Amino acid sequence: MTRTRTTALVAVAVAAATALAACTSAGGGNTPGGSTAGGGGGAEITELKAGVFLDVTSWDPASADIGFDGPYLSAVYDPLVALDNEAKPIPALATKWEWSADRLTLSMDLRTGVTFDDGQKFDAAAAVENLKHLKAGVRSGQAYLNVADVSAKDDDTVELKLTKRDDSLLYFMGLGRSWMASPAAIKADALAKGPVGSGPYKFVADKSAPQSQYVFTKKDNHWDSATYPFKDVQLLPIMDQAASFNAMQSGQLNLQFANAANLPKAKEAGWNIASKPSSWVGVQFADRTGSQVKALGDVKVRQAIAYAFDSAGILQAVGNGAGTATNQLWPVDGQVYDKSMDGKYQTNMDKAKQLLAEAGYAGGFSVKMPMSPIFQAWQPAANQTFGDLGIKVEWVDMAMPDYQKNAPTYPMFLAVIAMSGNDMATLSDQVTTAQWYNPNPSVDKFPEVKSLVDEVEKAEPGAAQTELLKKLNTKLVDLAWWDVWYQADNMYFSAKGIKVQPVTGMMFPTLRFIQRG
Amino acid sequence: MFSFIAKRLLSGILLLAVVTTGTFFIAHAAIGDPTPGLLGNSATPAQQAALRAKIGIDRPLLTQFWDWLTHAVTGDFGTSWRTFTPVNDDLALRLPVTLSVVVFATVLSAVFGVIIGIACGLRPGSVFDRLLKFVSVVLFALPGYWLGIVLVQVFALGLGWFDATGYVSPNISVSGWLRSITLPSVALALGAIVMIAEQLRNSFLEVNNQDFVRTLRARGLSKRRVVRHVLRNSAPAALTVLAMMFVGLLGGAIIVELVFNLQGIGLLTQQSSQNGNIPVLLGLTVMTVVFVVVINLLLDLVLGWVNPKVRDR
Repeated sequence: MTRTRTTALVAVAVAAATALAACTSAGGGNTPGGSTAGGGGGAEITELKAGVFLDVTSWDPASADIGFDGPYLSAVYDPLVALDNEAKPIPALATKWEWSADRLTLSMDLRTGVTFDDGQKFDAAAAVENLKHLKAGVRSGQAYLNVADVSAKDDDTVELKLTKRDDSLLYFMGLGRSWMASPAAIKADALAKGPVGSGPYKFVADKSAPQSQYVFTKKDNHWDSATYPFKDVQLLPIMDQAASFNAMQSGQLNLQFANAANLPKAKEAGWNIASKPSSWVGVQFADRTGSQVKALGDVKVRQAIAYAFDSAGILQAVGNGAGTATNQLWPVDGQVYDKSMDGKYQTNMDKAKQLLAEAGYAGGFSVKMPMSPIFQAWQPAANQTFGDLGIKVEWVDMAMPDYQKNAPTYPMFLAVIAMSGNDMATLSDQVTTAQWYNPNPSVDKFPEVKSLVDEVEKAEPGAAQTELLKKLNTKLVDLAWWDVWYQADNMYFSAKGIKVQPVTGMMFPTLRFIQRG
Repeated sequence: MFSFIAKRLLSGILLLAVVTTGTFFIAHAAIGDPTPGLLGNSATPAQQAALRAKIGIDRPLLTQFWDWLTHAVTGDFGTSWRTFTPVNDDLALRLPVTLSVVVFATVLSAVFGVIIGIACGLRPGSVFDRLLKFVSVVLFALPGYWLGIVLVQVFALGLGWFDATGYVSPNISVSGWLRSITLPSVALALGAIVMIAEQLRNSFLEVNNQDFVRTLRARGLSKRRVVRHVLRNSAPAALTVLAMMFVGLLGGAIIVELVFNLQGIGLLTQQSSQNGNIPVLLGLTVMTVVFVVVINLLLDLVLGWVNPKVRDR
């Protein structure tokens, strides 16, 4: 199962924007009139004004993205399943659920007394309509790849039948793949033009301007009202990092998707700062079996590349230090990550050359790699390191959309890939399932990996599965499955009085993760 | 006069036809199939085919063009492929933002450019004149993006006189509107002021050295009256630059729209290019060409009024 791949691309855009954005110069932290910039003047903040980076992709949950769409959709829609601060599924419109013994049937009890903005009732029939719509959805469908059928058992119970066990289904539903819309609006194909949900806020269309600002006011009688402290919400897509920071400084925003380069200024202003790993940066080996470039099929060559790169240096120089240098891609704040493994590929050019020589490539080898403007921040480091190793890289320039299309056809490429907050989702997204950034999973070609993957997928969810995932993680690091340089953080600045709880897997958290504090 | 306007209008319509036709086919050739960009790379071939049918790009290109053209002549530019709302709505929403900034920037450029140009033309070689030369070099060397950021830091965040980002409609608050458009307009106008001043100064000096001006002085006309004659003869060059500036500023607005987070047509053009949203791109093209044609027509009329010989060309 896969998450929407656009998220991975968004991660590239974000990482590049963060890496390349110029630091803004000094500016006062106070707005005229003496109130604290960012809207925190000691009084309780009633209006959330958030700079989100990207515009909403679509108001139709089936066509929406997970990346930056969360705050927009969470204002107007309720999900069946939500996530808690640890990215674990928690009840929302589904009040409880139960797996069958073989984990191929998921039964969900539904909340009663909920109505959509157009007066339609939320019940099992509405949930079934929505789940079928999401399964057929262009972007949402990926979350439901293993769902064969959805049916209503009674007025407030739905059942999902799976073709294959799927331990990350609930996580994906909570991440942003179970927003419930009015069945009438779905049938009328009206959601692309505007939302019709049952969410905590009412969309104020006449004060909103597409791609510019979206205004919402809180409903009086929402079932989960306590979770949403702000009376009014304004969401502004601002892609330019300097403009967003200026808006934050002047008080036009009180929460922003931040650039790490502005961290000292944010501290100086006394804002709340929150960050969380969001994407991994490094070299993706698309050809681990050596079918295109024989050398890459040799583990010693991949290990040599891992030894050669100065990950910590690249993180500081390009990533503004916003992240963690590591050779793993399970999140550094998660259970599978093993800190002791980070010492495995300490930068050592001599060792790298020795490994290359042992593999029979003392003189290096030639390889073609794709390049697009967005990756140019990392290109000098890659050029120098490959050059020192004797690997002759011929860079093939292309536009970013073409990069996504063509990079996987090259034996290896520079990558910035979005991460998951769920360990089983990481396994499917990054290891076992073909994705644009992982066109040849090749798990079957590596028996040790294959048997570990099988064990993980059969294990009882929980501690036992986590232990097996740790073993798999160790094996993948040993095999230099990827050359991960670092895990880049997403960062958020908020005015005093607003606290953000970031979630790995969401580029911008949904509104339930934005609280007073 | 009528034939003069008719000729200009006819050439404008011809330009509009050529540019929009060219844009239509070039955009389709460059963007190709927009469905992966609109749906994401995970869309199945069936889903892509469904969207192609929905937006009508499964038809022959000439059929699409004819369909677009017959609607466009009635002022209907179709539906955005991204939001499925009328393109006209997008344009109506964005145009006032850009026009506010560009018109205000043009006014600033005209007023200050003329004052500085005359001042330098009257005293060539003076400290002020040399300063203009120096400033013009510096301003051309400075990136507009950086200039915008500096203006924000000083006048919005430092002094708090203006808004740092965003646009306030004059329907909501006229003072708010002025606060929101002043800095972007100044950022946009600075280069234009210098260009107009330079142009007017050079033109002023050139006319000032002509025989008829010497004759006017010999006849004992007051300095003020001589300057008025010189200005009238120098004006066409400055007016031409001003009109070109307006069109240039319209295109250059994207930088200030980025820095000041103004959702105008500059950013819409950028977003539509990235999304492969051809109907919006075509709507923007038509609108821009219409502006260019109208501005040039107005310029010709003003030049014709200033200098009747122009009308005979």
